[in-house]
Amino acid sequence: MAQYYDIDDILADEELVPAVFLEAINGVGLFESNDTNRVEPRSKVELPFWLARELHLRQAASVSMPPCFNKKTREEIGADGAHVDLRTRCSYFYELGCKIVQLIGDKTIGSLLLVAFQTRYKEVLIKAHTAASALTPKFLSLLTKEEIKLYDAAKSSTAAFRNWRMGGPRFQKASVLGRKRKPIGEKNMHFCLPALWRIGYRLGCS
Amino acid sequence: MSGQSDPRGSTFSAAELEFLAEDETMEIVPNLSMERLSLISGDFGPFRPQIATQVPIWLAVALKKRGKCTIRPPDWMSVEKLTQVLEAERDSASSFEALPFHYVEISRLLFDHARDDIPDVYMVRSLIEDIKDVRFHKIGTGLEKLSSRTYAMKLNLSAMEVNVIRPFVTGGLETFYKLGNPEMIQESERQEFRRPQAADRGPRRELRR
Repeated sequence: MAQYYDIDDILADEELVPAVFLEAINGVGLFESNDTNRVEPRSKVELPFWLARELHLRQAASVSMPPCFNKKTREEIGADGAHVDLRTRCSYFYELGCKIVQLIGDKTIGSLLLVAFQTRYKEVLIKAHTAASALTPKFLSLLTKEEIKLYDAAKSSTAAFRNWRMGGPRFQKASVLGRKRKPIGEKNMHFCLPALWRIGYRLGCS
Repeated sequence: MSGQSDPRGSTFSAAELEFLAEDETMEIVPNLSMERLSLISGDFGPFRPQIATQVPIWLAVALKKRGKCTIRPPDWMSVEKLTQVLEAERDSASSFEALPFHYVEISRLLFDHARDDIPDVYMVRSLIEDIKDVRFHKIGTGLEKLSSRTYAMKLNLSAMEVNVIRPFVTGGLETFYKLGNPEMIQESERQEFRRPQAADRGPRRELRR
């Protein structure tokens, strides 16, 4: 699943998840105040996901549910998914959710993600194709990274279409056509100008 | 085939679609005499004054600009046909009328270059605008139904319409696919969110990434 070169995938790995150490570990230096550089068993720490996963797989720590999938968030999504501020909770809500499911095997997260996306997707769809740009900043601040990407894609393609329909400069003049001929290149330019005209003819800028 | 304007090559720009649409053929009435033109896409002509002939749109537009022909607008571009289409579009909430694949681009090209050859040009123009708006609205409402169980859609969409919604739809479907993955969801919970559906859909092919 993981895309090696996907920057969002890498950034999603940076999200903090709560973990409990099962063994004492030396030399990790997680706590600045602790001069022994040692982590006691059963100490709770927030670790970035990439580290927590490795420790979990080696049974050195156990990962528990991140706070963005707690009961309160679930209830809010159930009530009105479209207006939950997922971005402040976890801007990689869906990506992290997918990764967490594979790790701790709590399958209720999967359906939570799907329901959340289903309700929020409609909101993105409507806003992206209709809303004036003045409305959007407040709405955009609720979206996760993935939803923002979707929103931007829709917004830019409709804007491009609108621009094309309204007209504007239909054909751009090739930069060679407007330039004054340089004395040295004169012979060559004589040779290639008719060719350029012919291209212009095909493009319609007679 | 993919567009050159987008770095990922996944979408076309509107100008690229217009370029592709220019290869459609269309009837012109030349007022010059010219031998048959042998082009890569086929032979066109010979051109005799007042004898109608089929040529690609780019050639028609080029001849028109020099005043060497009049363009005969295609059948679907008449007020009656377009009124019919518009009414049918408004009547049915989900199906789309069969219009030429490049109708948005062709109509824009003709409005720009051959206004005097189209009878009732203002009427035709506003009808086409209306049809386009109705269709885009329908597409928007149709997309609200997109879900993790959407595998394929068959619609009479035109090139431009597909191109406008492509980035959004592919992104949305990809996320739905990822989240609706059987690995992610227990089978029992899956049933809960399943909406009632027609039974006669037949076997479906799963969309692969």
